Amino acid sequence: MTFLQSLKMAFSAIGANKMRSFLTVLGVIIGVIAVVVLTSLGQGALDQVSGQIQNLGTNMLTVTISTTRHTGIDAPTLHALVGHDGITAISPSISGRMTAKAGTETFSCRVEGAEPAFFAIRKMNVTHGRALTPSDEENRLPVAVIGIRVADELFGHRNVIGNTFSLGGREMTIVGLLEEQGTSMMGNEDERIIIPFSLAQRLLRQTSITTFYVSTESEDVIDQSEQALHRFMKARTTEDRDYSVLNQSSILDIFNTTTATLTLMLGGIAGIALLVGGIGIMNIMLVSVTERTREIGIRKAIGAQRTAILSQFLIEAVALSLVGGVLGVACSYLMLTVLRGPLDMPSLTVSMSSLQLALSFSIAIGIIFGIYPANKASLLKPIDALRYE
Amino acid sequence: MIELERVSKRYQMGGEVVTALDEVCFSIGAHEYVALIGPSGSGKSTMMNIIGCLDSADSGIYRLDGQDITRYTARQLAAIRNRKIGFIFQQFNLLQKLTAYENVELPLIYQGLGLGERRIRVNAAMERVGLADRMRHRPNQLSGGQQQRVAIARALVTGPSLILADEPTGNLDSKTSVEIMATLRELNAAGNSILLITHDANVASEAPRRVRIADGRLTEEISEDKKKKK
Ligand SMILES: Nc1ncnc2c1ncn2[C@@H]1O[C@H](COP(=O)(O)OP(=O)(O)O)[C@@H](O)[C@H]1O
Ligand SMILES: [Mg+2]
Repeated sequence: MTFLQSLKMAFSAIGANKMRSFLTVLGVIIGVIAVVVLTSLGQGALDQVSGQIQNLGTNMLTVTISTTRHTGIDAPTLHALVGHDGITAISPSISGRMTAKAGTETFSCRVEGAEPAFFAIRKMNVTHGRALTPSDEENRLPVAVIGIRVADELFGHRNVIGNTFSLGGREMTIVGLLEEQGTSMMGNEDERIIIPFSLAQRLLRQTSITTFYVSTESEDVIDQSEQALHRFMKARTTEDRDYSVLNQSSILDIFNTTTATLTLMLGGIAGIALLVGGIGIMNIMLVSVTERTREIGIRKAIGAQRTAILSQFLIEAVALSLVGGVLGVACSYLMLTVLRGPLDMPSLTVSMSSLQLALSFSIAIGIIFGIYPANKASLLKPIDALRYE
Repeated sequence: MIELERVSKRYQMGGEVVTALDEVCFSIGAHEYVALIGPSGSGKSTMMNIIGCLDSADSGIYRLDGQDITRYTARQLAAIRNRKIGFIFQQFNLLQKLTAYENVELPLIYQGLGLGERRIRVNAAMERVGLADRMRHRPNQLSGGQQQRVAIARALVTGPSLILADEPTGNLDSKTSVEIMATLRELNAAGNSILLITHDANVASEAPRRVRIADGRLTEEISEDKKKKK
């Protein structure tokens, strides 16, 4: 009794009861889809967001000041920190929502006041025109670097260097266009207008600094820089919760572990779906063993060994679940391909690991849930099986 | 070839014990053709099941080719059924999902024979029962007589030393029965021992040696030639 023959027998048995086999397999298909799609989505989200965080730079610190009390922190105080404790650059920042107008078009978006160093710290590239300069800052020039969505909304095209728009009653000249960034956890990153910090203080009617960005020599000194910033902030605030220092690399760590946990949980839920599919297989195999008791009797009468009956039913169970696994992976592939666009995850696909996971899981399910019915069949006494009506 | 020594088989039916075989002593020699005759419920099938290693006796000794197989494992018994014994049942007992060819091939598959060898043997067996042109038919596409002949082909394909036929004509009309009986006679002529089980004295008259069974007890019928000698 070779494996190939067992396989042939298994498939002919599966084929003999197409509707029932399909419904049984459906349980596994759904389980596998759940496992593959959920883990791929989790992995996709993880890759996407950690990519974004990494893009922001892992040598960046963000300090957010939440107290309304006067802290005495202004641009010159911050500049004095540069060159100590590994700090290479600092840019204060304030932001708010404002409506920009150009001709008849209006667009409401985030307006961010920043110093020239901001672009390097935040790793924002200007693809057309230029970034802000010290002279823009000193002279409070009405110039702006805008995201592509702003250009699209206000002008309908991206050839906008030198164009003007009005913001809070001021006529602003566009000097630079930011590289496309897409969406992040914070929303669409291309919907922003960056103007000189000193000008923003006036337009947003806000003088106190709420956020400042710090870059360090490298990721290695970031802890030292972070401690220096804590000392600096503690000296100017009364309570711990008056400010916070965000360390990009630690955010990445936290994020990675949270998402990994989440993916694991999704995988677990999906695993339960697969388990239910497995129980379906066991159920149908038990029915099949009962229905085919006489067949088993005949096979034993003409000399089938216990192992031949065992492997016949086991292979049948594994074939059922493996067919489910393969179809499930195929369906998952289609689903992920369809979801790729709407979810804006270009890399979304059936990962090698989830493919292996799904297939090895479905084989395992077939074996685990097939072994009991198969064993039951193989242990039938020939005479009892033959007499069964 | 086979020897039963004081073999008994009892069934527990509720509180009642039915003695299906009562200390039966019986033997079949090589190339012998024996008919076992008895009314329904007399223990014929029980005896065949024990001889065919489908069931085991409660007491007594069963020797097959000189070996006491009472203590054989399920694995060894399966091998004996596969190689030494061919079954022909009243209900044919063919696998409905397989073709005639595949049904006959099955015991050879369990024997582990290769494809080529199997094809030669299956073709020869089908030829012998006159069904070479029905290889690809499924049982439900064959008449009762044809199905029984497929079953006979399956029984003889392994070249067993003993063929057990339990009411082989019980489900067939008289004309077909005659054909089947003729086939059995040919098998015997070709050297197989045959145990034919029947309740029909007419059918039993085919066999040179006849044994009667009633309530689990055997009585040998004096055969024609022995009578003459006396
Ligand atoms: N599995 C069983 N359980 C209980 N009683 C049985 C069983 N098989 C046979 N018997 C009883 O044993 C006796 C002999 O049965 P069987 O050998 O089938 O007779 P036959 O084949 O001669 O008609 C009958 O009384 C029958 O009722
Ligand atoms: Mg009977």
